[in-house]
Amino acid sequence: MTGGAAALTAHRAESPGEAAVCVTGLRKSFPGKGGRVEALRGIDLRVAAGEIYGFLGPNGAGKTTALRILTTLLRADAGEVVVAGLDVGSRPAAVRRRIGYVGQRGGADIEATGRENLVLQGRLYGMGGHETERRADELIELLDLAPFCRRIVRTYSGGQRRRLEVALGIVHRPEVLFLDEPTLGLDPQNRANLWDQLRRLRDTGTTVLLTTHYLDEADQLSDRVAIIDNGLVVAEGTPEELRGRYPAGVTITPRPGFADLPAIAVELEREPRVRGARLDGGTIRVELDSATTGMAAIFDLLRARGVDVLGVSLREPSLDDVFLHETGRSLRDAADPPSMEAIAS
Amino acid sequence: MNFLLQTALLARRRILETLRQPIWVFMGMSVPLLYLALFAPLLKPLAGGPGFPGGSVLDVFVPGILALMAFGSGMGAGWIVIGELESGVIERLRVTPASRLALVLGTVVRDVLMFVVPAAVVLVVATFFGFHAHWDGLLVLLGLLALLTAACSAGSAALGITLKQIGSLAAVVTGLQLPLTLLAGVLLPLSLGPGWLQGLAHVNPMYYAVNAARELASGTLASATVAAGFGVMGAAALLAVWWSTHAYRRAME
Repeated sequence: MTGGAAALTAHRAESPGEAAVCVTGLRKSFPGKGGRVEALRGIDLRVAAGEIYGFLGPNGAGKTTALRILTTLLRADAGEVVVAGLDVGSRPAAVRRRIGYVGQRGGADIEATGRENLVLQGRLYGMGGHETERRADELIELLDLAPFCRRIVRTYSGGQRRRLEVALGIVHRPEVLFLDEPTLGLDPQNRANLWDQLRRLRDTGTTVLLTTHYLDEADQLSDRVAIIDNGLVVAEGTPEELRGRYPAGVTITPRPGFADLPAIAVELEREPRVRGARLDGGTIRVELDSATTGMAAIFDLLRARGVDVLGVSLREPSLDDVFLHETGRSLRDAADPPSMEAIAS
Repeated sequence: MNFLLQTALLARRRILETLRQPIWVFMGMSVPLLYLALFAPLLKPLAGGPGFPGGSVLDVFVPGILALMAFGSGMGAGWIVIGELESGVIERLRVTPASRLALVLGTVVRDVLMFVVPAAVVLVVATFFGFHAHWDGLLVLLGLLALLTAACSAGSAALGITLKQIGSLAAVVTGLQLPLTLLAGVLLPLSLGPGWLQGLAHVNPMYYAVNAARELASGTLASATVAAGFGVMGAAALLAVWWSTHAYRRAME
């Protein structure tokens, strides 16, 4: 799905000066019980212009703190943060003009109508009266707010409110849009809609940086992902790259009684990309270096031995496996990960 | 100028918010009128006695009621701010380039209006109960007490941002309310009390506002008491606005 786009952004990330966000050695600690608590312990990041970048990590990993520093809400203790080409520490006011922010709590004014919210937001960004009205109409169309934009926000459903809040974040056409857990509490349909809208924004040149603790959000929506745990980036890359670093499992179900399965398992194990193969009931379970290598060799061998294959299932590593490998813990405490199972036949 | 425009836009937002909840406008108006109708008769027998020179007790009582209204109109700001911290409004506004001072003053302007308009109504009603209105003095009085509202509004907002919890804010504000209003002689003049009480009142900024308000209501515009009232209230308002702006600047720390 994102193979082509990922290649493109990877290329872009390498050309200097095109970074929308550049973070080096970012540190932040807060006073807590029994001394200071280190929320960020030296983070380095580079987000290319025009990509969707995901911060993935469990609650308390430091994602929100990092986002708050990038959006001028918090000051860093140490490190350099450059957003849209400007240093956040020394020029927060200039950074604010170039970025949009959709916080975890939303931030729409619930006693005003959606349209009033949009117009005020535009005016606060220094847009003129007519310009703001036009822009508000444009956003109402773009995010499909028309049926309710003249109602008081208090009466909105969760999905309606979230759409308005995204609109508020982009009234002034920011270069970089930051979203903190944008799909938290949304139903699957609203979630899919929001993903589409963020992709469209990306396609018109906006850089999108979001935090999430949903594996599928990081995996399917983000062009690149930084896995954050305990105040550090533990892994970084495109979701495909990250998953490709870890072994994948293939389960092969041959027609019963057709061949000498133990011998075939031994032979499979000798293939270069195969880490191991074993029999499990009537199936053969093979562990591959990665999901993208070694499949062809397995099928060639099975065909050569005359094995009639009834079914094959591939279990690709998920970003949770990546997280598990890097931190020794599972991310599943907070997320409800989809299985990455694909049935090949 | 950008800052003035932003203040106007943010004040408009607040005013709309208030007008959409007319129950608050109604309550803001009815409490002082109830004081006039129910409390003033209690004071009637004191007319001409100590602390109540002149003809009507209302001449002393009305400026105090207005000061109480000014205090109350401002002190609600903290509750709103905490609600907006929770709903993320403050965070959203802080990421916009809007002036932090404008964020504070938007609410202050609304609160001042929410004091001045009902106060004018109370003054008109009070004249029917026998209050002697010196309109030039009363105009200046409204200006003076608007400063008190501004100080309370900005101070309450700063407290709200700092404390972040309704419970703590309520404890602090109600804890302050009694000493501040009582030691200002809001309902009963402090001249009725013993010397130590009158001495203690001098550390209360509101005391100067109430004294000046009584003098202005009696028609005296140029006096040391009035000057002291404006001096103390002006300083309190400036200090509170500075504190609140500072709090907005670093609301998440």
